[in-house]
Amino acid sequence: MPKLTFVQSDGTRMEISAEAGRSVMEAAIANSIPGIVAECGGSMACATCHVFLDDATAELAGPLAADEDDMLDFSAVPRRATSRLSCQVQVADTFKGAVITIPETQV
Amino acid sequence: MAIGVRSYDEVSLAQLRADPYPTYRTLRAEAPVAWLAPAGIHLATRFDDIMRIEKDHETFPALDLRSLQIKAMGHSLMRRDGADHGRQRRALDPTFAPGVAKRHWQPLFEDIANDIIEGLYEQGRADLFSDFAAPLASRCLMHILGLTQIDWRDLCRWSQALMDATGNYGDDPAIWARGKEAYDSIDRAIEARVPELQEAPDQSAISSMLHAEDPLDMADLRANAKVIVGGGLNEPRDATCTAVLGMLTNPDQLARVREDETLWRIVFEEAVRWIAPIGLYPRRVARRVEIGGAVLEGGDAIGLSVASACHDEDHFDDGERFDIFRKRSPHLAFGAGPHFCLGTWIARMQVGQIGVPALFHRLPNLRLDPDHEPAIEGWVFRGPTSLRVVWDA
Ligand code: HEM
Ligand code: FES
Repeated sequence: MPKLTFVQSDGTRMEISAEAGRSVMEAAIANSIPGIVAECGGSMACATCHVFLDDATAELAGPLAADEDDMLDFSAVPRRATSRLSCQVQVADTFKGAVITIPETQV
Repeated sequence: MAIGVRSYDEVSLAQLRADPYPTYRTLRAEAPVAWLAPAGIHLATRFDDIMRIEKDHETFPALDLRSLQIKAMGHSLMRRDGADHGRQRRALDPTFAPGVAKRHWQPLFEDIANDIIEGLYEQGRADLFSDFAAPLASRCLMHILGLTQIDWRDLCRWSQALMDATGNYGDDPAIWARGKEAYDSIDRAIEARVPELQEAPDQSAISSMLHAEDPLDMADLRANAKVIVGGGLNEPRDATCTAVLGMLTNPDQLARVREDETLWRIVFEEAVRWIAPIGLYPRRVARRVEIGGAVLEGGDAIGLSVASACHDEDHFDDGERFDIFRKRSPHLAFGAGPHFCLGTWIARMQVGQIGVPALFHRLPNLRLDPDHEPAIEGWVFRGPTSLRVVWDA
């Protein structure tokens, strides 16, 4: 299973194994990773599952859809080039050593 | 009533309406899932239990055919689950997405807010509930729906009638009759607009439902429009008054907001956390399950008290206090899970970015009217019912 490393804004790191095909948000919640709130449970309505991907993973995750792009403008911490809503990113077998940084706040 | 659930009857409905928060505090500590005897419902009061319920729609579906909401408004997206719910929600996204709120609705709603304030300014005093918050919410909602031809006062009346029918547990025939009248009036208003919106689509909810990639049929469209009438008026109205009340009773916080206008966003979130406009909403229990130390049986219904969750001491210190500088933490005033409020982004903009700041910008020395205490009421829905203010016109 692909390994994902979550990095909190204070630098704390946690590594998990995640099943391919699940969303990064679901994998994080299932492993009790703090900081991914996901109020709407993945229906892309809340923008509280915001993460920053490392460049390689951002590339592998592919382009974001127009509505995700739009919603990222409303995340609590301003978006950056590799920002994604983690409920919209599917874990793939190609994600080797993905590093996913969690913003300081989601609200 | 399920076996293994503690029954709680040390409060009356009148006490809950006056102030439910002391009861919630007791329930969170002693019986976080309880049978609330005077109301005849199970109630979940802790944040974490409600989150768990909202993440498990197989066990706790929104569909309950006994629902009075279905009787009052028809079978809308609010009482659907899974793919059936998802498709209706997607049809409405072009009206409610955050970018649409900002680009499309914001300029229009700013004009409405300014127009209402213009009309009040010379008076030097007002009841912000009836003179500002209600007309603002109603006039905005006419545009959101696409029913631009109606009178905003009628929309207020219809909304209240539908909400009263949804809460008509006492089966009062007069309430059903008013609900039916509102139901029929809304259907006639929709019918009058559909041909125009068929021809010339716009950003409104009715237009979005007509022109969706997977279009909704008329029964779905009508039911969803009614749930938007019922859910899109009182909540932004009450949140407006609550936010103003929070500011006027905490002048130190208001002073900081005047220095840093980006804080209006937090003022809004803290207001709906402090007094959640929708205090509770129901879910059905599909199978026997243990939660909050109680056992519920398949077929039970349970109320999720998001108002209580928003004061849960495990998530908020001193939850009764209005404090925009409290530690930032997610609240549950917009619900959670697939039914997370569809109007969230519009409400944040309409109330938090436009309505409330406009009052403080435009009405010099705005303050509470010393001769009239604000009144706050309700537990299923809660908010100020009168908010008299004065300013230096
Ligand atoms: C401060 C203002 C508001 C608050 C606190 C609020 C609160 C809520 C809550 C708690 C729910 C979940 C109910 C449930 O799951 O049974 C909800 C759902 C909903 N709200 Fe809001 N609301 C607000 C404003 C609005 C506005 C302005 C609109 C429309 C113009 C709206 C439309 C809806 C709809 C259609 C749903 C159902 C969504 C679904 O079932 O998928 N709300 N709201
Ligand atoms: S979980 Fe709500 S947008 Fe991703």
